[in-house]
Amino acid sequence: MTTLTQTFKVPESIKKGSKFSFCPGCDHGVAVRLVAEVLDELNLRENTIAVASIGCSVTLYDFLEVDSLEAPHGRALAEATGIKRARPDKFVFTYQGDGDFASIGMAESMHCALRGENVTAICINNTTYGMTGGQLGPTTLLGQVTTTSPTGRNVEYYGYPVKIAEHVALCDGTAYSARVSLDTVPNIKKAKAAIKKACEIQLKGLGFSFVEILSTCPTNWRMSPQQAHNRVREEMMPVFKPGVYKDITEKEL
Amino acid sequence: MEKNFIIAGFGGQGVLLAGEVLANAFMLDNKNVTWYPSYGAEMRGGTVNCEIVMNDSEDVSSVNKAETDFIVALNQASFDRFLPKVKKGGWMIANSSLVTEAKTRSDINYMFVPMTKLADDLGNTKMTNILSLGVLAKASGLTDPKLLENALDQVLPPHRKNLLPLNCKALKIGYEYDLSLARA
Amino acid sequence: MTECLTKTSKKVLTKGNYAIANAAVLAGCECYFGYPITPQSEIGEFMSGKMQELKRAYVSAESELAAINMVLGACSTGAKAMTSSSSCAVALMQEALSYAAADELPVVLVSVMRAGPGLGNIYPSQGDYNQATIGGGDGDYKLIVLAPATVQECVDLTYKAFYLAQKYKNPTVLLADGLLGQMMEPVEFKEYPYPEVDNSDWALTGAKGRPGRIIRSYAPLADNQCEFLKKLHAKYKLIEENETEWEEINTEDADIILVSFGSPARNAKSAMKECRKLGIKVGLLRPITLFPFPSKRISELADTAKKFISVEINMGQMIRDIKLAVNGKVPVELINRPVGNPPSVEEIVERIKKESEE
Repeated sequence: MTTLTQTFKVPESIKKGSKFSFCPGCDHGVAVRLVAEVLDELNLRENTIAVASIGCSVTLYDFLEVDSLEAPHGRALAEATGIKRARPDKFVFTYQGDGDFASIGMAESMHCALRGENVTAICINNTTYGMTGGQLGPTTLLGQVTTTSPTGRNVEYYGYPVKIAEHVALCDGTAYSARVSLDTVPNIKKAKAAIKKACEIQLKGLGFSFVEILSTCPTNWRMSPQQAHNRVREEMMPVFKPGVYKDITEKEL
Repeated sequence: MEKNFIIAGFGGQGVLLAGEVLANAFMLDNKNVTWYPSYGAEMRGGTVNCEIVMNDSEDVSSVNKAETDFIVALNQASFDRFLPKVKKGGWMIANSSLVTEAKTRSDINYMFVPMTKLADDLGNTKMTNILSLGVLAKASGLTDPKLLENALDQVLPPHRKNLLPLNCKALKIGYEYDLSLARA
Repeated sequence: MTECLTKTSKKVLTKGNYAIANAAVLAGCECYFGYPITPQSEIGEFMSGKMQELKRAYVSAESELAAINMVLGACSTGAKAMTSSSSCAVALMQEALSYAAADELPVVLVSVMRAGPGLGNIYPSQGDYNQATIGGGDGDYKLIVLAPATVQECVDLTYKAFYLAQKYKNPTVLLADGLLGQMMEPVEFKEYPYPEVDNSDWALTGAKGRPGRIIRSYAPLADNQCEFLKKLHAKYKLIEENETEWEEINTEDADIILVSFGSPARNAKSAMKECRKLGIKVGLLRPITLFPFPSKRISELADTAKKFISVEINMGQMIRDIKLAVNGKVPVELINRPVGNPPSVEEIVERIKKESEE
């Protein structure tokens, strides 16, 4: 008789019995799970205060068994700053979309990085405003058709998409800035490693840590999950290149 | 009893500080007192004034008074502007170093003292404001040099405390100025 | 100036802005977040030095939007936190104030009014009575609003603002004007007189040994939102019952009752006394809380008084609340200055003379 050990289970940091409400094929679910796994592995659940932002990312607090605050649209990193300054011993992270982080909240995001606030920001980049029905956002690619760019994003009317991880890396207060994707299992593993690194950097008190996660939005992209992941690979990754754009701990090696 | 004062001059003459010293002197004399500045976007060079309302009773003072008991005008612009605001029987105390002596109103008291010149003689033009308080104390009889000295001690920041003796001298010069000359 | 202020039983001559800032420190404010704007910049300047000296939190925020949201963040942990600002910049904070009301966070905002609309200018004003009491954020929410009229009250009501914010888990505004902010008067900084409020049942502290807590305003289901609003408004009713505060003088026999808050109330009071000397029966009601507004008392007084006059530095904002309370029983008039210093005592007396003849 063999003894079976469960090696793959729901992380402790995920609320018992909760079911993700994300659309089928959406990478938010994977991203939330990775965050939960990292919180478990670093034993952070009971010392964490999370900040959820507006958009699909707001539902984070329905799935994570941690203390959470909901921030107004774009203000997640201002609220995170307030939390961390009030309670420096707490582990503080935000979970935001690209519109929240890099459009309406660009000032709050960049200034948080510039001040070197010792918090961690996770930003889901799916090149669109998902919750409102797929409008053009700050990361919408050139040529991409959305409900507010019916003939595709052109420079004349819309200007250029923002490369978030690169901009965050330019801030002196940033300790770590990376872009990852969730299109394949190896890349999911890399994504988790980046999230973990970002969290560890906060635990060491080194400054602002940031992970941009390239993600799917099959519903608004009008694609199957498989097609959506192909799009991440073929259209997004050539523009938003995965990689570590800043890591001040590298210098220590 | 309620008395109000306006100290006015150009930016840099230390008008607000003089007002603060006067207000402190009243506070040290257990009076109710309210100080508020005029408003202007200028940081330097414009005209500046502050009003001080001193009150004997328990009452909160009203503000934005239509008339003033004592006006200290450190420059011509202030003299011209505030002359109409002097209460009947009130005092216009002017820095005659910078203000032309003219008595166009017969229903008020005038006092012309060459404050800037006296401060210069003392060795520091910047003492004009505090010197004017000495004159005001003498003219009004509502405060005295000792209270003003104590007030100065409270108001001067630590890095300016070395100027206390000079300020006290200025007060004394103002207070002891021959008022018969001033009224002439 | 900044060095000399601490707790003291001796009176010190202090500017309204410094009085507010020092009182906040003494009230146990752990975090200050702010962005400069005249006429309240002294508050942030004082805090920048004092909070660092005391090893408390201070951030020069990138905007008022960020500043108020930092306050929300800090308050979510149970910390006493505040920001201060003025008019056109408080306008930027409206969104967050609505969130704070919905999140039931004990935010303290000091609003030192200047002239608007738009950039306006730095002259004193009460043009943000509506902004504070009605608000510009979305939804059915209320802020507690306290209105000092003297520099001593700037101290006392700052203490009270922190206490009421904590007690009712409700954003609270100290509504002063530029004149009070810049005014100096002798004040006494007594010890913070209120009990500390236990927040252990809601504050975000990390979910140690318990399920995660969520501070949120998002209510996806209509029924939830109805229940939530009913609960919120039951709280507002409780605040009205318990916390309405006003000063009332000579109203018993008054034919004319002046209603005025903040710095103009000082002149209204002097004008009332002048009128009494002239034999005109004038009384004064000075609201100290603007929400809750002393509507009930004004309604009672409308049974005996013949006329109410609102004295304000704006185009007439509080007058609307007076009219609602009077409910047509007697006329309600306005004595105002659009911006700048309050109407002078003489101006008010002249007008009362006219009104009493009618």
